[in-house]
Amino acid sequence: MSDILMSILVAGLTSGALYALATVGLSLVWGSMGMLNMAHAAMLTLGGYAAFTFSTALGLPILLGLLGALVVGAAAGALLYLLIVGNLLKNDKATFESNVMIATVGVGIALENAILLTYGGQPLKQPLSVPGALVLGPLTLPNQNILIIATVIVLMIAIALLLSRTRIGRAIRATAQNRDAAQLMGVPVNQVYFQVLVLSGALAGICGVMVSSMTQLSPPLGNDPMLKAFIMCVVAGLGNLPGAVAAAFGLALLEAFVQYAAGARWGFPTLLFVVIAVLIWRPAGLFGRVQIRRM
Amino acid sequence: MTASGKPVLSLTNVVSGYGGIDVLRGISLDVSAGEFVTVVGPNGHGKTTLLKTISGLVPIRQGAISIEGARISGGPHAVAGLGVAHVPQGDMLFSEMSVLENLLMGAYLAPNKAEIDRRLDEVYTLLPKLSDRRHQIASTLSGGERRMAGIGRGLMMGGRILLIDEPSLGLAPLIIEQIYGVIAALSKSGRTILLVEENPARVADLADRLHLLDDGEIVWSGPPADLLARDELLATYLGG
Amino acid sequence: MANITASPSRRLSGSAKRDLAISLVLIAAAVALPFMVDSRYILGQIVLALFYATIASQWNLLFGFSGIFSLAQMAIFAFGGYATAMLCFYFGWNVWAALVPGALGAVVFSLVVGLACLRLTGVYVALLTLAIAQTMYLLIVTDTECFTMVGSICRQFTGGAVGFARFGDLGTRALLKGQWLIGNYAIVALLFAATMVFTYAVVKSPIGLAFRALKDNPGYAVARGINRFQAQLLVFGISAFFTGLAGGFYAAHFQAIGPGILSMSQLMFIIAITVVGGVGTFWGPLVGTVVLVAADELMREAGEFRTLGLGVIIALSIILMPKGLVGRLGDLVRWSRSRRQASVSRKLAEQPAPAGE
Repeated sequence: MSDILMSILVAGLTSGALYALATVGLSLVWGSMGMLNMAHAAMLTLGGYAAFTFSTALGLPILLGLLGALVVGAAAGALLYLLIVGNLLKNDKATFESNVMIATVGVGIALENAILLTYGGQPLKQPLSVPGALVLGPLTLPNQNILIIATVIVLMIAIALLLSRTRIGRAIRATAQNRDAAQLMGVPVNQVYFQVLVLSGALAGICGVMVSSMTQLSPPLGNDPMLKAFIMCVVAGLGNLPGAVAAAFGLALLEAFVQYAAGARWGFPTLLFVVIAVLIWRPAGLFGRVQIRRM
Repeated sequence: MTASGKPVLSLTNVVSGYGGIDVLRGISLDVSAGEFVTVVGPNGHGKTTLLKTISGLVPIRQGAISIEGARISGGPHAVAGLGVAHVPQGDMLFSEMSVLENLLMGAYLAPNKAEIDRRLDEVYTLLPKLSDRRHQIASTLSGGERRMAGIGRGLMMGGRILLIDEPSLGLAPLIIEQIYGVIAALSKSGRTILLVEENPARVADLADRLHLLDDGEIVWSGPPADLLARDELLATYLGG
Repeated sequence: MANITASPSRRLSGSAKRDLAISLVLIAAAVALPFMVDSRYILGQIVLALFYATIASQWNLLFGFSGIFSLAQMAIFAFGGYATAMLCFYFGWNVWAALVPGALGAVVFSLVVGLACLRLTGVYVALLTLAIAQTMYLLIVTDTECFTMVGSICRQFTGGAVGFARFGDLGTRALLKGQWLIGNYAIVALLFAATMVFTYAVVKSPIGLAFRALKDNPGYAVARGINRFQAQLLVFGISAFFTGLAGGFYAAHFQAIGPGILSMSQLMFIIAITVVGGVGTFWGPLVGTVVLVAADELMREAGEFRTLGLGVIIALSIILMPKGLVGRLGDLVRWSRSRRQASVSRKLAEQPAPAGE
């Protein structure tokens, strides 16, 4: 019995780690820019395919494949700012929120289909995987899962340090908390937005590699994780990073248990139920700040 | 006058506003080095807009603003780089950051750590309460402490001129005295200050010059004591 | 300071005349169409386009006029379609009898969605409605339990990945034999016309103003006594009727319904239509449908690049033409009018284009 419990736990923690990585990228962008990046899923997928290309097609070692995904993701974020977000910011500020949602929806569709056209629709195996498992007494922990969880934890710590200890990180947080005041301090907010998108893209790229190593590479790869990551961000309160990470692990474990107990198809509806319940109780999420609207 | 002989801040026929409306309708004024200039007037007539226009939060529609003769262009962050430190109305602190982090944000443009430490020392000396509460989260501060944090943050910018927007807003009289004590000390130490207030009585003793802003235009300028002596002006514009 | 619309009654009659003129032209064109179009395929595509235009016009009520970014539009459409199909399939009802109950079911569903979103704003609404739509899709597609047996074939309760078929049709085949498509076209065109008339009435009514206030200046609206919650629920309910009805007609016309209509690309097409046409304008959805369906047909030659092209079009449109084609046209008209009237009385207050332009 505890075998099953253990494997559910491991599965839940692994997917929790993956969702946490996805949520951090989303939450960062939302918190500092007020932007919901609907192209995040495609950027995830792009990362997965980039790693595949680097290691398979170009025969580069695995670590470089991962690095390649990071770089490609970062580049995608940069392009997203330069071509789309930068231009939308110049337009009407009031409609920015919905305009950027629509624009990134378009970008997401285009990107996903570009990937479909380039690589074809059939699923591919992500070569960046680690075989074998760690056996601790009665427990068997697959190395892949350990690696993913460890990597995500390292990344979370790195980002936390970046945000709290560095000048750039402080500027990002300041821009998120009060954009006008940040500008008065001399923070070039447009550059901050660019940096945040690049960072978010890099994270999405890495996330995509790891997600595809657990499942398979296919063009709609990023859609499911992205939607779940959105839900977790919302449950925590958009913009709250630690909360989002906690929500990611918590909800992933819940999903794993429900899927074991009631069947795979009930995982997502459970998450939906949770988010509806949370939002009814707290419309800005569990830890979210209710935006005071200045009329 | 500064070494170059030009005023620190110079506005020439500045027009600005929001949407279809002009709030500032042709403002001209100068602030020389070390001067304490104050702008008073009824609420809603453009005092806050004036400071926001200088710091770049509100774009200029007509006219020009210069810092030591160099014309301002670019957004607020560029203006900050030219040495304009704006302490905005209502503080606009980074509410989820600590006092120390807010102060550090003020020093965003500082050239190196040594300079940041030096400014931090100055601010802590002038505003000891901030030192006591340096790790406290800004949203948990009292009104007076928040005001001090805002001023401290503005001071951390170094800057050639300090713009202060209604420092007495929403504070108890005792706290207001403390705040003005700090401002007086700043002025005495040679800081160039442009301050806006609704009530001229508070700044009468401190300011070198006073402008009266009404309906987007400057209708009177002179020493503060003169304004207080002119009952008819007080009655018309400031309700006695 | 709130922007005040200039003499509404004077503007209304001018734009109302124009809307009437446009409507008459469209009616004439619609009547003439089946005689001018030879190809069965093209007529079929036009019918499909009319469905899209209907859905888009109702989404426009939600998002364009009221500022509610709901991503559940296709879920509501599907609910109406599925409800109609299931009533016919399980209870043997005639399609025509099942249409309105199906639409009403969609209204109830939409009200539930609206309730869930009641205290939410902006992005949160988008996410929640997306999650609801995705859940509906997943529950249908992963439904594998045999609910009934049809002959020797296992059928799921929700129809599963296969969906429902052969539950009835609009009766045009029996009546018109070979010309049934023209009959269906007439029916769907009437549906679209009814939807537009209804939408026009809503938009011009005090309810419509309340919706607009929700979007443009929520604080002002609340201050004027418009209950935000009531208005939000109302627009969810109102926009759902014709969406659900269109779903029912869709199922009846194609004699099939499946989870494919819940796909992301269908939803994106609706969004694209509204954005390209002009969010918050009355004629926007129709203009957008015409442009995008035509573009889609042209891109059909390009094969797999269609969806890619669609994505690019959406992104470019919102960046370059945030007010859509109708919005741009309105700008042009206003610009030339103001130049002509340069010496006469002051310009009309700056406002986004009200309904009818």
